[in-house]
Amino acid sequence: MKHTLRDFGCVQNKIPLLCDNEGAIKLADNLVNHSRTKHIDIHHHFLRDHQSKGDIAIQHVRTEFQLADIFTKPLDVSRFCALRRELNIVDSHNVA
Amino acid sequence: MMGELIYFLRFQIKQLKAGTFISQTKYTTDMLKKFDMDKAKPVKTPMPTIGHLDLDGDGKAIDQKVYRSMIGSLIYLCVYRPDIMLSVCMCARFQANPKECHLMAIKRIFWYLVFTPNLGLWYPKGSTFTVHGYFDLDYAGCRVKQKSTSGTCQFLCRSLVS
Repeated sequence: MKHTLRDFGCVQNKIPLLCDNEGAIKLADNLVNHSRTKHIDIHHHFLRDHQSKGDIAIQHVRTEFQLADIFTKPLDVSRFCALRRELNIVDSHNVA
Repeated sequence: MMGELIYFLRFQIKQLKAGTFISQTKYTTDMLKKFDMDKAKPVKTPMPTIGHLDLDGDGKAIDQKVYRSMIGSLIYLCVYRPDIMLSVCMCARFQANPKECHLMAIKRIFWYLVFTPNLGLWYPKGSTFTVHGYFDLDYAGCRVKQKSTSGTCQFLCRSLVS
């Protein structure tokens, strides 16, 4: 996506990638202390490479504002509707 | 001469001053009629909060053709309805050997669509082009193989793009 945007003439460094797990963020920031995390796959290293290059910046977001929740777990009505609104999914009667 | 784009590949497109709205209302209602679900009782969410499905080896087997055609229709709807993505993809994993409980899960999605046939994606007009992404993981959430579910969404300014 970054490359596509660059083709259109929009350059953005450090694209924020918001994650609600602080442990995962610390792991991405910190290159040492991984005797317990040897099983981590190659795509995590891919993320870490990009972070060290400055392409992305992994940041923390509170679980309430984690919009990707709707794609990973079943939610109750109020939370589901709130996230749906945040994703800009609206009723056609509300736009006009 | 070409007019303004309003209907394309079963997407309904509304172009307004404040932004663009894309929905699949007609496709949704046609699909509900096709599967005889248009009179069903509406529900507010596409799946219950304890909605993870399992293989259900002892359950009664059902017609694979119908199940697969339902999945196929729903996957096309997912393009502009990311709210049903999770539930549709979960049902799609059991296509090889669908049982009655999986059919019930699919029906629940249809009941949700009866409740919300008019939803679509709204792309507000904006001037900045900043990307930000969200990433989330449901660790070992799958009841069949204990696999994790990951979900991502990327926003360009305030609009969902992937």
